[in-house]
Amino acid sequence: MPSNSMFVYNLTLAMQSFRRAPTLYFLIILTLSIGVGVLCANLALVNSMASDPIPEKSANLFHINMNTWPDDQPPDEPMHILRYRDAMAIAESKLTKGSAIFYASGVYARDAESSSMKRFDSEVRATTPGFFELTNAPFAFGSAFEKSRGMEIVIGDELNKKIFAGKNSVGKTLELDGELLTIVGVLKPWVLRPLFYHPTEGRAFNLTDDIFAPLETAIDLGWSIHARSSSAVNYTGIEETRDKDVYYLQAWVELADMNQKSALQSYLDNYSQQLKDAGEHPLAIKNELHNVNEWLKVNKVVDQKVLAFTLASVLFLSVCIFNASSLLLPRFHAAKFEVGLRRAIGASNRHMLVQGLTESVLLGLFTGVVALVLSWLFLKLSVQFLPRLTNLAVLEPKLLVLGMLLALVTSIASSLYPLYRANYYTISAELK
Amino acid sequence: MLNMNNISRIYQSDTIQTHALRDFSLKVNEGEFVAVTGPSGSGKSTFLNVAGLLDNFDRGQYELDGVSVQGLKDDELSRLRNEKIGFIFQNYNLIPDYSIFDNVDMPLRYRGFSASERKRRVEQALEKVGLASRLKYLPSQLSGGQQQRVAIARALAGEPKILLADEPTGNLDSLMARQVMEILHDLNKDGATIIMVTHDPDQAREVNRNVQVIDGQLADFKIYAPLDRTAENKGKTVSAAVSADVAEEMADA
Repeated sequence: MPSNSMFVYNLTLAMQSFRRAPTLYFLIILTLSIGVGVLCANLALVNSMASDPIPEKSANLFHINMNTWPDDQPPDEPMHILRYRDAMAIAESKLTKGSAIFYASGVYARDAESSSMKRFDSEVRATTPGFFELTNAPFAFGSAFEKSRGMEIVIGDELNKKIFAGKNSVGKTLELDGELLTIVGVLKPWVLRPLFYHPTEGRAFNLTDDIFAPLETAIDLGWSIHARSSSAVNYTGIEETRDKDVYYLQAWVELADMNQKSALQSYLDNYSQQLKDAGEHPLAIKNELHNVNEWLKVNKVVDQKVLAFTLASVLFLSVCIFNASSLLLPRFHAAKFEVGLRRAIGASNRHMLVQGLTESVLLGLFTGVVALVLSWLFLKLSVQFLPRLTNLAVLEPKLLVLGMLLALVTSIASSLYPLYRANYYTISAELK
Repeated sequence: MLNMNNISRIYQSDTIQTHALRDFSLKVNEGEFVAVTGPSGSGKSTFLNVAGLLDNFDRGQYELDGVSVQGLKDDELSRLRNEKIGFIFQNYNLIPDYSIFDNVDMPLRYRGFSASERKRRVEQALEKVGLASRLKYLPSQLSGGQQQRVAIARALAGEPKILLADEPTGNLDSLMARQVMEILHDLNKDGATIIMVTHDPDQAREVNRNVQVIDGQLADFKIYAPLDRTAENKGKTVSAAVSADVAEEMADA
């Protein structure tokens, strides 16, 4: 051991210690890794559920709930889906920086120029053009369509890969349920976790849509509603809904500042009051604006069961630390002689503490690596049993760092008591 | 070199108070070789532990190489142990899976010497005890006497002011014990100050001064008079070299 550094010396001693009792240290690493791995996997789920999907503007984006149901049996709360004319009234107000009015639909898509008849079942967002700027949708090629009516579409990265092998498909034509629409924009891979613009109906962890089509065109083409809708009247197709009491559109607005929020609130309330005065509904005026994080909270995006399981895994980790500590205790007890000897020949308590901590940190690093592998396996296993977790079960880089830190902290925590006991004795007690 | 005045060490259990050392005073000068003898449980080891700063004391004053040790913090005591004291234990206390080099190197690690300086000192210390060729051996590959010589090399490597030996030949046969004692005498001749706890009357007689501990105090009589280690006596067994004076003194005792 020719090195000058005490750090290298302590690392060498730690490795020697591991070699002396490999089975014991393997068990300790496994014990801590399982605890850290399970907690990390749960934290990955919670992180995906609780994270802010658009932090740069989440406080300024508002979802609008309105209370304009036309009969005297209103829903308990203002509805998150709006009539066409109510939604358009919002879009046309001059109080917002931007807005998006949309509904979810679905079509079968194929390359119109391809000889293959293979069609892809595709999720559609029928929307006003403001959607792209409001959601910061990232474009790989081309740009957004500019009007709410036109035979143009934007497609997502996944569909572009499926049909065009990921190449620039701007200018190509897709046949969507028998209609030909031209691609004007292709998005980059776009993951919103949660899918803040449509967290209702259990869709918070769905992927972003495959196709974004102009709202008016989708209505004109009769693309059906693939989400919750309510109607107070009978209708045969969506193309009839513009002037009927059919509720299916969601509305988001972007406000430049908080002053605009109260102005918009007044605008909505006045609008509802006018409808009420005109006898269109009998309800109390109750319209709601929720920013992104408030809206996710209203929709209980963070699963309470996952939270409870995370809490349980914290307790489980505590048990793992206790077990690892119990395993380490005899190991450190057996090291009393060496501790006594080192103290006798000049090592201070601080030296011994640093040596012990170095061993713990090294143990923590090994634990961290195994824990992250186990965590990844736990998530893979979870997805096998619960496919709806697919878009949630992701170990982000910050989770990897957190996992390593957790492993270090638990490793140090589990060795504190054994370390204290090993250094507790009178130096001479172990030496003869 | 070592100056203890009225040192008391009391071990307290729930029901029993044991006075391991009571008003113990001893002065050891530089270059002396002092044997500490006494019956089992008399306080010899406690004295050595207190002298070596391995154990605290409850009352009294203790100066080691001009440094008063009362009230020193753990770091300061550790540094004193490292720089001024070399320990030789009865059980050698080598770490079994470290090489001879690494065992001797251990105290130097805590002194902050460079790698080259440590290597020089380890080789020099092992040279002194005749084991320079066994650097890479493990302790288990050496005889008991050789292991004790490694322990002596470890004590010497830091060039301490004083060597404290606790029955250094207690686990060795007579031939190996003789070799170890010769090394200690050679070190003393070169100027080392040595305090050795021993049960062996022959070894006690071989050294400059013998002190007797009884009931935690220095006895005020001598059992073993010093042996004349003059040239003509060297090489003889201790018994054969006992002077008439010593024999007389032993008879008196």
